[in-house]
Amino acid sequence: MSEEMPDFSNVNGGSSSTATKIYVVVSGDSLSKIAKREYGEANEWKRIYEANQDILKDPDKIYPGQKLKIPPK
Amino acid sequence: MKTRILFTLLVSAALTLAACGKKEEPKTVTAPAPATVPAPAPAPAGIAVSSVTAGKAIGADKKVTAATDAFAKGDTMYVSVDTTGSGTAKLDAKWIYRKGDKVAVVKEDSMTINATGPATNEFHVSKPDGWPAGDYEVEVMLDGKPAGSKKLTVK
Repeated sequence: MSEEMPDFSNVNGGSSSTATKIYVVVSGDSLSKIAKREYGEANEWKRIYEANQDILKDPDKIYPGQKLKIPPK
Repeated sequence: MKTRILFTLLVSAALTLAACGKKEEPKTVTAPAPATVPAPAPAPAGIAVSSVTAGKAIGADKKVTAATDAFAKGDTMYVSVDTTGSGTAKLDAKWIYRKGDKVAVVKEDSMTINATGPATNEFHVSKPDGWPAGDYEVEVMLDGKPAGSKKLTVK
């Protein structure tokens, strides 16, 4: 009888760095969503906006494929 | 006269046969005098992984504060990856569970970093209902190439 492998579908993961991370925007993203994922706080979106003012003119307009700098937490 | 001609022909034939039977000596190729060896080009600037450490917790500097390879069911597993150099690179962490000869991928994560010097990067995994006991491994890749791994156990 073969042994069943455990279910790992509910494993949570994450990453962070002391260096600036580069994040590629995907469909459905917003700066708040990215901030929540990267920093654990949605209202940290301003940090991302400020770090990317060279490419972002409006914080509500980000596009799939854009590469955003995510400053270290 | 005929004898002389016949003799000449025989000598010529003998000389031709002797020449045909002679082995050709391999040509010796003399290597040219070594030129001055140019100094190796400096390594291109880039990011390299200098160490991989596993543990149960990390500090604000992303370094593991309690290094271990043995975890309990409810622990979060961290792997801290120190890098040197500058530039942009992709780091991947693949968490694996092994049971006998079977392997299951627990989680895969990646991040792209833009470092201006030495940096510390961390990946972590947790499981709300607890880790099954057994053998685990985390493999770290840098730009798609193996850069280190750690064997872990959950008891």
